[in-house]
Amino acid sequence: MRGISWQGLAVAFGALGLLTSLQTSDDDNPHARAPRGVSLVVTEGAYLRAPGADWFAERAKAEPGRFTHDATLAGGIGGWVDAKGEYWFVEMEEGEWVYNQWASPERLTAGRRDFVQFCSSCHGLEGDGYGRSAQHLRPTPRSFQQNKFKFTKVIADLPSDEALLAVIRRGLAGTPMLPWDLSDVQLLDIIQYIKSLSPEESGWRDVYSQVGDAIEVTEDPWVDIKERAIVRGREVYHGAASCHLCHPGYVTNEELRVIRKDPEGTTYRENLTYPALKDSEYEVLGRATKVMPPDFTWHQLRAGITTADLFQTIASGIKGTAMPQWKGALPDEDLWALAHYVEDLIVSYKDQRPERSAFMGGLRTSGDNR
Amino acid sequence: MSMLKTLLPSFALLRSRWLGCPLALMLTSTWALAQDKRWGPGEPASDYGDRFYDLFWLITILVSVAFALVVVLLVIPVLRDRARPGHRASFDHGKSLHDKRLTAIISIVTFIVLDAWVLVIAMKDLREAYWAIPDAKDPQTYRVEVLAQQWAWNFRATGVDGEFGTADDILTINELVVPLNRPVSFNMTSKDVIHALFLPEMRLKRDVNPGAINEAWFKPIKEGDFTILCAELCGFAHYQMYGKLVVLEQGQFNEWEAEASRLASTAFDADDTEAHWAWDWQE
Ligand code: HEC
Ligand code: HEC
Ligand SMILES: [Cu+2]
Repeated sequence: MRGISWQGLAVAFGALGLLTSLQTSDDDNPHARAPRGVSLVVTEGAYLRAPGADWFAERAKAEPGRFTHDATLAGGIGGWVDAKGEYWFVEMEEGEWVYNQWASPERLTAGRRDFVQFCSSCHGLEGDGYGRSAQHLRPTPRSFQQNKFKFTKVIADLPSDEALLAVIRRGLAGTPMLPWDLSDVQLLDIIQYIKSLSPEESGWRDVYSQVGDAIEVTEDPWVDIKERAIVRGREVYHGAASCHLCHPGYVTNEELRVIRKDPEGTTYRENLTYPALKDSEYEVLGRATKVMPPDFTWHQLRAGITTADLFQTIASGIKGTAMPQWKGALPDEDLWALAHYVEDLIVSYKDQRPERSAFMGGLRTSGDNR
Repeated sequence: MSMLKTLLPSFALLRSRWLGCPLALMLTSTWALAQDKRWGPGEPASDYGDRFYDLFWLITILVSVAFALVVVLLVIPVLRDRARPGHRASFDHGKSLHDKRLTAIISIVTFIVLDAWVLVIAMKDLREAYWAIPDAKDPQTYRVEVLAQQWAWNFRATGVDGEFGTADDILTINELVVPLNRPVSFNMTSKDVIHALFLPEMRLKRDVNPGAINEAWFKPIKEGDFTILCAELCGFAHYQMYGKLVVLEQGQFNEWEAEASRLASTAFDADDTEAHWAWDWQE
């Protein structure tokens, strides 16, 4: 083995390693490995629908320094600028002005990278909601080509960045959608990327779409009189709101008749104390799936179980499913009462096996509810 | 040069302290963590759990004794034959018959006392407990199909009709409810990468591989809530892949099963064939 310089060999290997490490191309980031043939680079930027002018003015007031108004933008029309994206006026056919957000190719590429690494196993490499781990999974992971969201608690067509951020950070309990503790920068990049998956002329690429924040949590009128809220909530649940058409009724037929002031002998849906499976607009492989409204004493809720969470969920409804929006249909006072009632059902019976079977069993044996 | 010489002993001291500090830290922190219930595996809650415990402690004690013995045997000559005036060092390579015999005896005794002992017990445990998969036809056996994925556990039980692939199959995510004192038998596979089903209190851990159906079983002997973990690094959110195992006494379990089964039938969509993933039970 004479003649070989071992030190020389070591240096050569070191140099080789260094060279190969320098040679990683953009598409070859070891932290965002995609299956062969899948590009991680987004070459085109996108104009994405943003909330309206009022929203910016309000934000600028609430969080000084976050947005600044720039009168020179959009050819002198003016627009708002934030640290990441730019917003400005774009003309619409009808002569109305709408705000758009510019997502640059670099930003979308960053978003796509993180999306592929963290989200694609479920949501699919192209965001169609059918990744490798999404097989046979119900509820199906969201397809970002559908531009529909269930739990963002917004009334507008589409959620704002904040509303999406909140959902992703919180996760959806009881599903494999985890609470994601990535940085804000990463998540906001991912969100821009998700939004850019809207097909042409729809979702965030449709100038007519309304974008908004999660519904405001108004003041709870029942804070000191919870007991009365629960009684009222039970009345509204089975009365004016008819939640028992989809969710279980938590009363006997007779009690329901009294609450609804129906004539004697009225019959109600079969299996009143069980939920009823409902259609939804959420598709997997082009086929719409069904969802079951939860039984609050049994199932895990997705979007939080504090009174405020429940108020928001009930008020905004769940888009794309049978669960309607109740804001406007019922006064806020009743929405809060419903939230207290649902919360009470959860606290008293969920995971309290003996209590639950006594309660539900009682309803079922005392009438023709079975 | 002379400067270096005077410094050398303090270097050695520093070195030993560098070694001693982390060692002491390791020992105290291990001890401290072991005091906290959340960090230890907890008391065994399955009928074969004690075997695991016994073997664990046997190995720990044997290894500790062996370690202590080796340290003592090393320290004696170090002290006895240390450099001192009037002593000359001598070297040999242990090639004499006496040395060879001594080495052989030590090796054989070590093997018999440590390895063979542990091996015999381990094989016995495997045969009598871990590999003794209960008979699936026995109605006492509670069967569960496990479908692992990034990053969740999907469980399927037969429901009251005792058959897989029917409308009343109980499907749960990250939560498994099983009856007390009945053998629970798993058929497990994965959609994507390798995971491992780990029920620490039950002393059960088994890999879950895509493309294969692996079996495992346990018999819970304690009621309550226990832990389900993934014990195979399976991607970014591996650390969030955990769930809850609930062991219910038979009466409560029957009630739970009837209700869960009924709710499952309500949620069943016969036309949504992509959602149906049950397989024929493998033995
Ligand atoms: C383990 C699978 C999985 C992974 C990984 C995953 N999701 Fe989800 N995600 C789901 C499922 C399932 C749903 C739908 C739950 C439902 O409809 O109840 C969902 C829903 C969503 C929704 C819609 C929420 C709503 O209100 O409708 C968003 C947004 C979302 N995911 C974003 C992400 C992002 C961003 C990532 C990566 C950081 C990610 N998801 C990773 C499974 C996953
Ligand atoms: C027409 C059917 C329908 C009616 C009426 C209805 N819901 Fe729902 N609700 C649903 C469905 C379907 C879901 C499940 C959506 C999902 O998880 O995809 C749901 C989910 C919910 C959730 C759970 C949200 C979460 O975080 O998981 C709450 C709370 C709720 N409904 C409350 C109510 C209340 C209160 C009423 C009456 C004021 C009501 N619903 C009326 C269909 C309905
Ligand atoms: Cu795993």
